[in-house]
Amino acid sequence: MIMPHTHSLLLVFFGQCFRICEMWRKAADSRVPLVRQMKDMPEPNMDYSNLRRQIISMKKSLFDQGYLDEQFNQLEELQDDSSPNFVEEVVALFFKDSSRLLTNIEQALEKHPQDFYRLDSLAHQFKGSGSSIGALRMKNECSMFKAHCSNRNLEGCRRSLQKMKREHATLKQKLETYFQLLRQVGPRERAVNSWK
Amino acid sequence: MAGAAAAERRVIRVLLVEDEEIHRFLARALLRDAGGVELSEAWNGAEAVRRVREGGAYDLILTDRQMPVMDGHEATRQIRALGVTTPIVGLSSDSLAADADAFIKAGADHFTPKPLSKEKLDNILAKFNLA
Repeated sequence: MIMPHTHSLLLVFFGQCFRICEMWRKAADSRVPLVRQMKDMPEPNMDYSNLRRQIISMKKSLFDQGYLDEQFNQLEELQDDSSPNFVEEVVALFFKDSSRLLTNIEQALEKHPQDFYRLDSLAHQFKGSGSSIGALRMKNECSMFKAHCSNRNLEGCRRSLQKMKREHATLKQKLETYFQLLRQVGPRERAVNSWK
Repeated sequence: MAGAAAAERRVIRVLLVEDEEIHRFLARALLRDAGGVELSEAWNGAEAVRRVREGGAYDLILTDRQMPVMDGHEATRQIRALGVTTPIVGLSSDSLAADADAFIKAGADHFTPKPLSKEKLDNILAKFNLA
């Protein structure tokens, strides 16, 4: 026979158990969609770190292989919240100028007689434009081209032009990849000069 | 991002004489970064001479060498012929001694090879007490 006092205690005990079970059930229900969401979402800290590593690695490679020099760092120093796309804009200006100049140089080389003064002038513009973004290999090849112009060495100019075109295409492709990576981190992070 | 020093000095008026957009774009950013600069631009030497002749008063003139219509050497000569004593700094993508000499002989006060950088600009401003 259960005493009334004990009966009350049992009621309280089972009531508490019921409440606890309800609490677990609700927690479990609320956790399921969260877990499901978490499985679908990439881990943001890990993705950002990987992206950052890729960017830093790519930039280091561009410097180590001589594609870029310190001037590129100078451009990144000038990028800030008020001009978050500054570097990409300067580089775009370079490729717009340089594509035109390469065409002009090619056309000038085909003229007879060759105007080595004009060729030198075009290469001078190209060199200046390239040096503005730190395009070291391009700048060096322009210097070679100018030296061939000084020596009126047409074959040298033609060989040098082919190298300039190759370097130009390679640099363009590498920088496009670099900027694509930077765009993934968003404008605010891109504007912060942390890619050293 | 204006330098701290810029807040302590008066606004300096700079005339940039440059035909190529990429160099103007870079120079604008550097001068904006230096702070306290009122920038005017001329796309060739003839335009620069016209601005000065028409009363443009500048604290500093930065001029490229190779430009259409009138180059930097000739522009420097003509500006000096007007009796203007504003510091003139020649810029060129070639860092040949002959380039620098030609500018100085034309009446420029200083020469610096391109590309312009923060360090080079700071040196120029300091040299002419504009920092």
